[in-house]
Amino acid sequence: MKKDLNKSAGIKLFISRVVVYGILIFLSFLCLFFFYLMFVNASRSNAQLQAGFTLIPGGNALKNFVNAWHDTNISIPIGMKNSFIVASLSAILTSYFSALTAYGTYVYDFRFKKVIHLFILAIMMIPSQVSAVGFIQLAFKYHLTNKLWMLIIPSIAAPSVYFYMRQYLEATLPLEMVEAARIDGSNEFKIFNQIVLPIMKPAIAVQMIFSFVGSWNNYFMPALLLNDIQKKTVPVMIATLRSADFTKFDMGKVYMLMVMAILPVMVIYVILSKSIIKGVTSGSVKG
Amino acid sequence: MAEVALRNIKKIYTDNETNKHRKSLFRKREEAGEKRSYNLQVTDEGVVAVQEFNLDIKDKEFIVLVGPSGCGKSTTLRMIAGLEEITSGELYIDGKLVNNVEPKDRDIAMVFQSYALYPHMTVYDNMAYSLKIKKVPKDEIDRKVREAAEILDITQYLDRKPKALSGGQRQRVAIGRAIVRNPKVLLMDEPLSNLDAKLRNQMRSELIKLRKRINTTFVYVTHDQVEAMTLGDRIVVMKDGYIQQIGTPQEVFDHPANMFVSGFIGTPQMNYFDGRLTVRDGRYFVETKGYEVELAEDKQARLKEHNVEEQEVTLGIRPEHLFITNKGIKGNVDVSELMGSSLHLHMTVGDSDVIIIVPTEGAKIDYSGRELEIGFNGKVAHVFSKKDQHNLEY
Repeated sequence: MKKDLNKSAGIKLFISRVVVYGILIFLSFLCLFFFYLMFVNASRSNAQLQAGFTLIPGGNALKNFVNAWHDTNISIPIGMKNSFIVASLSAILTSYFSALTAYGTYVYDFRFKKVIHLFILAIMMIPSQVSAVGFIQLAFKYHLTNKLWMLIIPSIAAPSVYFYMRQYLEATLPLEMVEAARIDGSNEFKIFNQIVLPIMKPAIAVQMIFSFVGSWNNYFMPALLLNDIQKKTVPVMIATLRSADFTKFDMGKVYMLMVMAILPVMVIYVILSKSIIKGVTSGSVKG
Repeated sequence: MAEVALRNIKKIYTDNETNKHRKSLFRKREEAGEKRSYNLQVTDEGVVAVQEFNLDIKDKEFIVLVGPSGCGKSTTLRMIAGLEEITSGELYIDGKLVNNVEPKDRDIAMVFQSYALYPHMTVYDNMAYSLKIKKVPKDEIDRKVREAAEILDITQYLDRKPKALSGGQRQRVAIGRAIVRNPKVLLMDEPLSNLDAKLRNQMRSELIKLRKRINTTFVYVTHDQVEAMTLGDRIVVMKDGYIQQIGTPQEVFDHPANMFVSGFIGTPQMNYFDGRLTVRDGRYFVETKGYEVELAEDKQARLKEHNVEEQEVTLGIRPEHLFITNKGIKGNVDVSELMGSSLHLHMTVGDSDVIIIVPTEGAKIDYSGRELEIGFNGKVAHVFSKKDQHNLEY
């Protein structure tokens, strides 16, 4: 009797595992399959790509790479450099200033503090496309197009990053620590830079990665603002290649450029995945 | 190493947004007739946390502020630290008015209840931080930190982060961080309340030792009367933002200024009886439930000095001063607790609860359920006014 019970429990466990693993495998497949397909396509020639799709890699990878590298409409090194400048600067500045803002509204008491907090959160509800119209008009009116800092500066004001930082502070920073630092003789800026920032390191790491990736992949704003080849970022260059005239259109080249575009992001994720997971779950559980 | 003087200090939490909320909460409760947990005064300016606070702290004195939660003791400490603005009154440290001086320029150090150590720094760096900011030369920092670590017996942990330390060790680091600077005044805000009972006792005796080694002025906040009694040169008992009594532990224990102080200091709590103060031939007697004693000479003198008249009073007698007698106040023992060297008897006398401590003296008598008669003598009876609960002797 007991043995039977054990047996049926074992079967139940087995079935539930099969179901769970089945779902997980399916979801992983959905996520990874298109990456695989992109790598396959990057190794095939335009003609092969036109002929239909396959799961077997072709032998044209190097040729695609050379073609992409020598395309006169784009310049991969410049694109990479531009993307890197924009993404890294906006990642650093966004997380630093969001942390600073969050610290300000968390630690200090001042008039309209709540109103300001709510106002910042309300901005989150406005899609960037809405405010973009005015921003683009402004940029054209004052001849501020084709300037990379026009992409960096506005990205510093990031309500969602601010919100994340604020939540993190509430969970991890006791006000007594700030007071202790004040009594120790530290001034307010030093307190933030020497005491608070190190405590916020995990949160800052996560937000830096997210905003780096977000900025790296951003197409909308750069496409509107940048048309000088010397200033274009990688996503804009991919679009340039895609919209090249019909006779020169080479799908293999486009796929190769895409692979190159996502490689840095993939490297970042692989290296930092542990701290990303730590950062995403931190704050939720108070240690 | 400094005198601290507080002159008519008052603290009102003014109308910023959070306090508006607090105030309306207080008012609503008041309107609903609900008894507030503590009687902070609500005025149009805000909530009054501390008022009429006058205290002269002598050089190298150990002062303990003690009182129930919400009595304003922490607020007072934070005002001395400069973390809280002083609404009115004057605060002097070493003869200098410091009302508007930043915490960092007051030459004070503070130990927080939650330790407030910097989690990303090692113990060494935690202790060295204030000296580094002051740009003290490196070798001197090193010498001072090691000296403080030596005193607190934490030398072996200097390279660890606070996370890797136990509560007691963290507490030592927090104290170490405060003493490396050689502050004029060392402020402590309930430093032992996060420790377990055993560790608390141990740290308490270490604080007494520490105090002998570092010559500075201490201001210590606690809600624990045992800490107050054992640590303080003088203790300041507070309630509802007012000072109730200032005195040495012995003075406060022997001559409580009012019923609140008498009840707050001493465990188990003082027992109270409704009674009457009578005068016959110029001598004072107290009587309760048919039991009458003549008050001791010193009490006679003090009552006479204040021209106290016959009146209904509340008698306060500490549990250890009640004894079992043949002709006394009748009561029933509900519970008998053996505490080792003594027995605590919880009794019902009339309609009030009374605790009495009797020595066990080897023979274990089971008192529970028995009817006993208890008495007291004229030396230990405290006479409190029915009207305003103050001690009639003062």
